[in-house]
Amino acid sequence: MNRKLTKWFSILIALTMLTVVISACAKNNNATDPSKSPESSSTEKAPASEKATDTEPSKLDTSKKVDLVWYLLGDSHEDSQKVLDEFNKMLEKDLNTTLKLNFTTWTEWETKYNLLLTAGEKIDMIFASSWAKYYSYAKQGAFVDLTDLLPTYAPQTWSTVPQQDWDEVKVADKIYAVPSTFPEFTPNGFVYREDWRKELNLPEIKDLDTIEAYMDGVKKGKPGVMPIGGSAWNEVSTLFSAVSGFEAIGGDSLVVAKSYDTPRDIVAYPFTTEFEQYVKRMKTWASKGYWSSNTLSNKTEAGDLIKAGTGAIYWRNPPGAGGFIVDAKKTNPEIELAYFPFTRFHNYAMPNLSINNGMAIPKSSNNVERSLMVLDKLRNNPEYFKLLTYGIEGTHYSLESDGKTFQTPPKGTSVSKDWKKYDIASWGWRYEPNMLQEIGAWADLKKFNDEFKAENRPSIFSPILLDYEPVKAQQAAVNQVYKQYGQPLMMGLVPDVDKALETYRKKLESAGIEKLVDYIKGQAEIFYAERKI
Amino acid sequence: MKIRMERATIVFNVLGYVMISLLAIICLLPFLLIVMGSISSETEIIRDGFKLIPSELSFDSYMAVFSNPYQIYNAYTVTILVTVVGTILGLFFTSMAGYVLSRKEFHYRNPVAFIIYFTTLFSGGLIPWYIMIVKYLDWKDSYLALLIPSMLSAWNIILMKNFMKSIPDSISESAKIDGAGDFTIYMRLILPLSVPGLATIGLFLALSYWNEWFLANVFITSDSKYPLQFLLYRILSSAAVLKTNIAGNLSADFTPPTETLKMAVAIVATGPIVFLYPFVQRFFIKGLTIGAVKG
Repeated sequence: MNRKLTKWFSILIALTMLTVVISACAKNNNATDPSKSPESSSTEKAPASEKATDTEPSKLDTSKKVDLVWYLLGDSHEDSQKVLDEFNKMLEKDLNTTLKLNFTTWTEWETKYNLLLTAGEKIDMIFASSWAKYYSYAKQGAFVDLTDLLPTYAPQTWSTVPQQDWDEVKVADKIYAVPSTFPEFTPNGFVYREDWRKELNLPEIKDLDTIEAYMDGVKKGKPGVMPIGGSAWNEVSTLFSAVSGFEAIGGDSLVVAKSYDTPRDIVAYPFTTEFEQYVKRMKTWASKGYWSSNTLSNKTEAGDLIKAGTGAIYWRNPPGAGGFIVDAKKTNPEIELAYFPFTRFHNYAMPNLSINNGMAIPKSSNNVERSLMVLDKLRNNPEYFKLLTYGIEGTHYSLESDGKTFQTPPKGTSVSKDWKKYDIASWGWRYEPNMLQEIGAWADLKKFNDEFKAENRPSIFSPILLDYEPVKAQQAAVNQVYKQYGQPLMMGLVPDVDKALETYRKKLESAGIEKLVDYIKGQAEIFYAERKI
Repeated sequence: MKIRMERATIVFNVLGYVMISLLAIICLLPFLLIVMGSISSETEIIRDGFKLIPSELSFDSYMAVFSNPYQIYNAYTVTILVTVVGTILGLFFTSMAGYVLSRKEFHYRNPVAFIIYFTTLFSGGLIPWYIMIVKYLDWKDSYLALLIPSMLSAWNIILMKNFMKSIPDSISESAKIDGAGDFTIYMRLILPLSVPGLATIGLFLALSYWNEWFLANVFITSDSKYPLQFLLYRILSSAAVLKTNIAGNLSADFTPPTETLKMAVAIVATGPIVFLYPFVQRFFIKGLTIGAVKG
């Protein structure tokens, strides 16, 4: 028996040692591989860029045929391949290159995106964006540094993208992505039933009091209607930052700058008097029944309830509102909707970061130069741009005589009921001068955009780089408290506001919010110093 | 005496049937709700919630799912092919492994079984696995990536081994005396005797192949190779992106997610398996007891 046991043990030990050795080998392989590929690509790069400096940019060496693989974040269209074949015909003639587009789709895209960038797969260009963690990936070295390559290989793009936009994509003074050039404003706001406002003779919406008057009027005048039906969280929480003028730092968080003009005055907003006043007001709103008491667990979109005739207000940004209003016109022609952007509380608007959408080259690419050349062509040559962005003229859209507007489905063709507009994830290479306007889009969008442009101020809060690594534990704890105590308080779903506020603040303190504020303050200071704000 | 007995039996039977029917109805209700939800109109669900008897019927959601019928049929073909081929090959390899491990003549059967078992405790994790398949095996966008990774599982091999252990040794001994080789014994004697075990594992394999979407999500890049589950999941998730704050950054034209669409997708995905189930159910129940007695 004993002998048997020792035999087993020796086998076990031998096995573990074997696995250790094997796994160590595997690790070595993995470790050397990625480091190998940038080396090899950089050695390829060096002579190419030397050569390029003394030749004209238009005569860059394209003698070698190259097949590129690009990844886009989003869905393909059933005709993507057809369009791409057309595209490749032109591309092969001009640059001796063919392009293959892969799509991540939206299923578990974060996992997939992470795998694509970490596994060293050969990808020559990939969609990059601040909301797809561009800054952290760039910081970790997932993308190729384009700073020196851009003037040579993408000269047109280099000169047409505004300096401000280039500054926004910089990480440690290096450019890792080509941002899209399409100034876009996505402030928060409400879509509301304008016909009811007129019918019930309610005041025009322009501030918090008129919003309250509107909801009150709807609640009383339209029995069975919940002013904000379904999930009201977005509506109420975005309204708070608009009313208070607080600007969240680095996206969604409890830590805010107290106003645009005092970016260094950074606090956690639950400790402010503004917050206290707001939650008290929300308590009265909730008890008047402006939203349902199960609103935090309700998954129904307020917008769906507007279409069903039992809701009146829906949170959207202007482009989203446009989509919703155009769609509602089709499904419920009797409804008249209007839009109120929250920028009117303080009369300024910040554009989205340029790197809200962009294209970057992963470290694993062997064809950095060619990939940049293709991007340059795609962005700046209207023919290339229109083909890949809007599809084949005549099949997917028809161009109006002014050359700036288009119609889908194309004029004069009849399409089946399930016809889908050609639309792929083209956000990354958007370049405004080449973009077309669609007929039938929401007419007010331009009006609002002009309004925003007039009161435009640079975006100084969203590019602050926060990876939360040093304060991970505090952040998790604070988030937990926020969900458990903060959200019900903000929705006015607590019996006693004062007591609930006190508990909330106490819990936040013990969760370590102070450390979180300090960390964000530190990061913000670094950023402000860099940008000289 | 006789009458009394019957009366008791009748009462018992009546009670039993009533109870079982009630349970069956309770089990069926959610499914019925899904079916009815899939053919309700969207606005009605939003207004009044799900109902067992919708006031108006609408097949819009099915039309949305089948808006591109070619794609759906294609995905069905891929899924059925992968399921059939994968299940057959998987059964073959699993039973071979199980047979070898159950033979007493195989001297190192315990160490080998341990190595197989070991993989269930320690694994490399997602990224090394991904790197191996994409970089070293080069299976990106290949059907092999859908087929191979879930073909053999340590759990199934151990299950098979234990099942085959319960077949008396004397059977294979008798065959040996008659001059049969190892492979003949396996093919002609052991396999026919292990039908319940094979059916169970076959069902496990078929279910996992049928429901597989993650492999396609990670490895498949061309639309024509998408299996059914992934295609349906994709329809839902592109609609669901609208609900996240990413939508605010994109301003693209998505069709919004619909409750009825979700239900229709569930029906399309589970339908065939539901029809298959009554035929293989008895194996499934039998199979549940297989692992109960560990050898």
